[in-house]
Amino acid sequence: MATANTEEEKSKSEQQKNHGGGGGFTRWAVLAVIFRLILIYFPGNLNLSSRPEVSTPLTSIRRLAEGYWLKQSSMSPYAGSMYHGSPLLLSVLGPLTVKRTILTYSVANAELKGSLVTFYAVGCSLVFVLADLISGILIRATGWKLQMTYRKSLKSLNLLNKSTDSGGLSSGDIAALVYLWNPFTIVACVGLSTSPVENLFTILTLYGAATGIAPLAAFGWVMATHLSLYPAILIIPVILLLGYGPDAPPSKLFRSKENGKVGDDTSSQDIIFSWGRVLHLLVWTSMWSVYVLVLCSISVKQHSSLQEMFQRTYGFILTVEDLSPNIGVLWYFFAEVFDFFRDFFLIVFHSNILFMILPLAIRLKHRPCFLAFVYIAISSMLKSYPSVGDPALYLGLLGLFLDELADMQFSFFLFCGYVGVSLLSPVMHNLWIWRGTGNANFYYATAMAYACFQIVLVVESVSSMLNHDRKLMKLSASKLQK
Amino acid sequence: MAKVEKKEVAAATPPWKPKPRPIVRLGIVLISHSLLVSVVCCTAGIVALFLLPMLAKNTYISENALMPGSASSMLSNHDISEAERLAKDLTSLNSGAADAGIERRRVLAKYLSDLGVEVGYHKFQSHQNQFHPLHFFSSPDSGLSRENGSCSSYGINVVGIIRAPQADGKEAIVLVTPFNFRKNSSSEALSISIGYAVFSLLSRVSWLAKDIIWLVADSQYGEYASVASWLRDYHIPVFSASSSHNADSCFEGNNINLSREESPGRTEISSGFRRAGTMAAALVLKVTDVKGQLEDTLSVYAEASNGQMPNLDLINVVNYLAVHRQGLRVKVEKFLSVLTWEWIWVLGDTLNFIGKVAGSLNPEWKFGISTPDYVEGTATLASSLYRQALGIPTGPHGAFRDFQVDAITLEISPKVVYTNQGRRNEFILRSARLIEGVVRSVNNLLEKFHQSFFLYLLTSPAKFVSVGVYMIGFALLVAPLPLVAASLYVDANKPEPSSQDPKQKLQINFKPWKWLSAAKQVFTVHAWGVFVSLLPYFISQIPNSTPAAHSIIWFSLSTFGLLVLYLITKSPSKPQKGKWENLKSLTISAVFIGLLLMSVVNFATAQIGALVLVPACLLAQPLKLDIRTASLKTFLRIATNVFISFVAFPPAGFFILKGVNEGFGNMDVGEFWTWLESLWAWNSATYIYIGMVHLPCWVLCLQILLHSC
Repeated sequence: MATANTEEEKSKSEQQKNHGGGGGFTRWAVLAVIFRLILIYFPGNLNLSSRPEVSTPLTSIRRLAEGYWLKQSSMSPYAGSMYHGSPLLLSVLGPLTVKRTILTYSVANAELKGSLVTFYAVGCSLVFVLADLISGILIRATGWKLQMTYRKSLKSLNLLNKSTDSGGLSSGDIAALVYLWNPFTIVACVGLSTSPVENLFTILTLYGAATGIAPLAAFGWVMATHLSLYPAILIIPVILLLGYGPDAPPSKLFRSKENGKVGDDTSSQDIIFSWGRVLHLLVWTSMWSVYVLVLCSISVKQHSSLQEMFQRTYGFILTVEDLSPNIGVLWYFFAEVFDFFRDFFLIVFHSNILFMILPLAIRLKHRPCFLAFVYIAISSMLKSYPSVGDPALYLGLLGLFLDELADMQFSFFLFCGYVGVSLLSPVMHNLWIWRGTGNANFYYATAMAYACFQIVLVVESVSSMLNHDRKLMKLSASKLQK
Repeated sequence: MAKVEKKEVAAATPPWKPKPRPIVRLGIVLISHSLLVSVVCCTAGIVALFLLPMLAKNTYISENALMPGSASSMLSNHDISEAERLAKDLTSLNSGAADAGIERRRVLAKYLSDLGVEVGYHKFQSHQNQFHPLHFFSSPDSGLSRENGSCSSYGINVVGIIRAPQADGKEAIVLVTPFNFRKNSSSEALSISIGYAVFSLLSRVSWLAKDIIWLVADSQYGEYASVASWLRDYHIPVFSASSSHNADSCFEGNNINLSREESPGRTEISSGFRRAGTMAAALVLKVTDVKGQLEDTLSVYAEASNGQMPNLDLINVVNYLAVHRQGLRVKVEKFLSVLTWEWIWVLGDTLNFIGKVAGSLNPEWKFGISTPDYVEGTATLASSLYRQALGIPTGPHGAFRDFQVDAITLEISPKVVYTNQGRRNEFILRSARLIEGVVRSVNNLLEKFHQSFFLYLLTSPAKFVSVGVYMIGFALLVAPLPLVAASLYVDANKPEPSSQDPKQKLQINFKPWKWLSAAKQVFTVHAWGVFVSLLPYFISQIPNSTPAAHSIIWFSLSTFGLLVLYLITKSPSKPQKGKWENLKSLTISAVFIGLLLMSVVNFATAQIGALVLVPACLLAQPLKLDIRTASLKTFLRIATNVFISFVAFPPAGFFILKGVNEGFGNMDVGEFWTWLESLWAWNSATYIYIGMVHLPCWVLCLQILLHSC
C-alpha cells in the first residue's frame, strides 16, 4: 500500500514536471497556430493549393468545392471525375468553400474579389488549423501515456536509470511539436488539402486505443477508413493496443524476470490479452460503421447511391484511375504499363501492403503503437495518391519513439535526404511543366529518391527498435546474474 | 547461468565481424580517405572546367524536318524596293512633330493592310518590374500585377498576321522588329525594311503551313517590356474588362482613339487583340551600327531568364544558313578581356602540345586544339557562363522563353553605313533571305523543337558543350561534399570511450541526437538568409533615397538581425566535443543540397558558386585549433581561410571583380545595390541563390572559423 502511494506521488510529481515543461509546449503550439494564420493571410503568392505535392485527387479542396457545387445543382457529387472523397466531408466542408467559389466568379472588381476570397478562405482553413492543433494535443496525450506505461514497465524490470532522466521536453511534447512545426504539415494545412482532417482521425484512433477508450478508437478507425481507406490496416495495432496495453518491452523479459525470482517455470504469468476490450471495440466498430453508412446514404440518396460512392471513392483509390503526377511512384508506372498487365500490377502493388501486415504484427506485437507507425509509413509509401500530409503524420508519430530510437543509424543522412528531396521535387516539377527543358523522368527521379528514403527510414527504425529490445534483454539478463 | 554469460561475452566481442556489402565497404573506404578524395576530385573538377573548350563538339542539325537551305529563295527585288519605299516614308516624317509617332504607325498599318494581311494595334502600359521572391516556382501568370499605372507610360505595338493558306491556324511563327515610333533612326528603319521585305514575300507564298506574326514592337520603353506585355496578353486573356478599359480611357483622354480610325488599306484595322496559334519559334531582328568591321556580321543572342537557352537546332539553322547560304559572319558574345590574359595562352599552348603528343602516340586520339581556337573558345565559354549565371535575358527573345517558345535575337550589323542604294539593297536582300530561309525551315516542323539540346554552353557559333559533358566537371567539384560531411559526422559521433564503461552501459540512456543542435544553428542562419533576401522589398519602398543609402540600410539591418538571432539562440551550455565537426558537417550538407538545386535551376550559377563555396567549406576549421598547433601547414590554412572568407563575402567579391575589370578608381557603395536590384527585377534565381544559399553558408563558415572549441 505504501509503495503504491509513493508511486502515485511520484507519478503526480512527474505530471507536474510535465506541466512545467508544458509551458514550453503551449507556447510553441500557439506559435505554430499563429504561423499558420500568418501564412493563410498571404495565400496569393504561395499558390499552394494547386501544387501536386499538396493536392491529390483525393485531398484537393478545389475538387471538393466542385463536388459541392454539383450536389447543390441537383447532380451526383461524383458526376464527372472530379470529386472522390467522402459525402460527409462534403456536407461539413462544402458550405465553407461555396461562398468562396461563387464570389471568385461573380465579383467583378479585382480588389474587392481579392479581399473577399481571402476572407472566406480563412473560414475553410481555420477548420484545418483547428484539426492540426487537436492532432498535436492528441499526439501529446498519447505520447504521455506511452511514456508513463513504458517507464513503469522499465521500473518493474529495474532497468530505468533515474540519474539520466531527461530534464527537457518529454517525447510526447517533442512528437506533438514535430507534428505541428513540420513543414509538410504546415504546407498541407495552408494549402487547403483535406489531409489534416484525415490525419486527425488516424491520430484519434491511436489515442483512443492507447488510453483504452474503445468507443473512441472505434470511431476514429471507422472515420479514418471511411475518409482514406488505408487506415483500415490499423485495426491490428488497435486490437493489440487494447488487448495488451501500450508499448512495453518484450513479454519474454517479464517472464524471465518472474523465472529468476521464483525459479519456477510453471507459475509464469503471461501478459493477459483482454478479449473483453477487443470485443467491446468490435461491437463499437460495427455500430459506428452502420452509423456512418446510414449518414452517407442519407447524404447521397437524392442523386446517387451508396454503390456509386464506394465505386468513386474506394474504387478510385484501388484502380489508380488518375495518373496526374504526384509524389508517389504509382502514377508513372501505371502510365507506362500495358493495359492488359494493369490488373495484375494493381494486385501486386496493393498486396505489397497486405503482405507486410502479418510478419510485422508478429514481430512487433509487444509494441502496437510503433507497429501502427510502421504501417502508416508503409502505406504512405505505397499509396496510390500520396501527398505531403502522409509523411507529416508518420514523422510526427516517429517523435513518440525518440527515446527508443536514439541509436538509430543514418538519422543525419535521412534528415538531409528529406530536406533535399522536398526542395528538389518542386524544382524538377517546374523544369518539366513550366520551363519545358526537363521531362517527366526528372520529376519521377525525385519521387523514387523519396520512396528510397522512406524505405530506409522504415527499415532503420524497425531494426533500431529491435536492437533496443535486444539491449533490454541483455541488460535484464546481466541484472539477473547479480 | 554460465550459458547466458558465454552468450553475453560472445555478443560483446564477436570473433569475426560480418563483412558488409561491397557498396557499403566502398563507401567506408571513400569516407575514411575523404581528404585525398576531396583533393583529387576538386582538382579534377577545376581541370575539367578548363578542358571544356577542348571537349566542345561541332553542332549539327538534329531535326530532319528542318531541311535548311533546301529550297531556293523567292525574295525578289520588287519586295525590297517596296520595303525601301516604306522605310523612306517612315524616315521622311518630321520627327519633331508631336504626332509623328501616330503618323508612322498609320503609315506602317497602311502598308500592311495593302498587303492584305490582318493588322492590329496592341496597346500596353509599361510597368516597372516588381519584386516577386517566389516567382520562380510559380507559373508565368501568377506573379502578374495588373495594377493601374499612370497614363503617361503607354506604348502601341503594330501587329500583322498572315494566315497560312495551307493550315488550320493552330501554329505560328513570330518575327519581331523593335522600332521606336517617336525617333528617327536609320538602323531601325533598315530593320523595318528587312522585316517588311520578308513579310510581303510571305504574304504571297503558297507553302506556308504556319501563320506568320510580325510584331513591330514599340521600343520607347525598352524592347523587352513591349514584347513581354504583348506575349502576356497573347497567352493570358483578360476576361474582366477592368484592365483594358483602363488603357482605353488613357487613349481617349489623349484624343488618339486608334480603334475608331478609318481603315486606309485593303483590310480593316482591328481594334481587338488578334491571335494566331501556338508559337513554334520566334526571331527578333535588329540592325545595329558597329564601326570598324571587316564584313557584314550576324550576332546571335540566345540567353533568356535564369540561363535558359532556346533549342540548339534554332541556332544551328540560323548559323548554317548565314554561313553557307548568305555568307555572313556569325558571332556569339565573348569576353574580350580573356583574350589578353597571358596564362590562358600558355594553357592553350600546353593543351595543344599535349594533344600533339597524344596524336603522335596514337593517331586515333584527336583531341588537340589550336591555341587561338582554345583561347577564343574559353572567352566565349566564359561569356556564355556569365550571361547564364546572371539570369538576365540578353534581349527581347527572353520574354518568349517564359512561355516555352524558342526564340533568339539576330543582330545584323553592316560593314559600313550604306549610302549607295545598290549596296544597301544587297544587304537587305541577304538579311531578308536569311530570315526567309529560317522561317521556311521552321515552317517544315511537325512538332515543336525537341530533338536537340536545351541545356548547353556555346564555345563558338558552331561548337557547343552539352549538359552531359559539363555536368561531369561540376559533379567532380561537388562530389567531396557528401563524403567530407559523412566523415566529419562519423568522427563527431563516435561512441565516447567513457560509454564503454560497463557501469554506463548497463543503463538505458535517454539521449537526443547530437547533431540536432547544429541543425538548429544551420536552420536559423538560413532563416536569416531568407530575411535578408526579403529586406530589399521593404527597403526599396523608402522614397527619395540613393542606392548607397539603400545598401547601408540593408547592411545594417542584416547585421542587426544576425546579432539578434545570435543572442536569442546562443546556448548557455559549454561547448562539447565534436560540436564544430557537427556544425561543419551540416554546413557542408546544406551547401551540397543548395548547389545541387541550383545546378538544376541554373547550371552556370551553381558552377561559379561551387568554385567559391566548395573550397571555403572544405577548408574551414576553427582558427583556435590552428593557432594552437602552430606550424607551416596550419599557417597556410589560416591564410587561405581568411582570404577565401573575405572573397566569398558577396559585396567584397563583387567589388573585387569590378575593380579587376574596371580599375579600383571609382567605387560606389550603391553599385552593389544597383546590381542586385537588376537581378531581382528580372526575377533571377541567382538572387535567391546569393541570399539563401551563398550568404548563409558564408556566415556558417565564419562561425566555424571563429568557433570556440
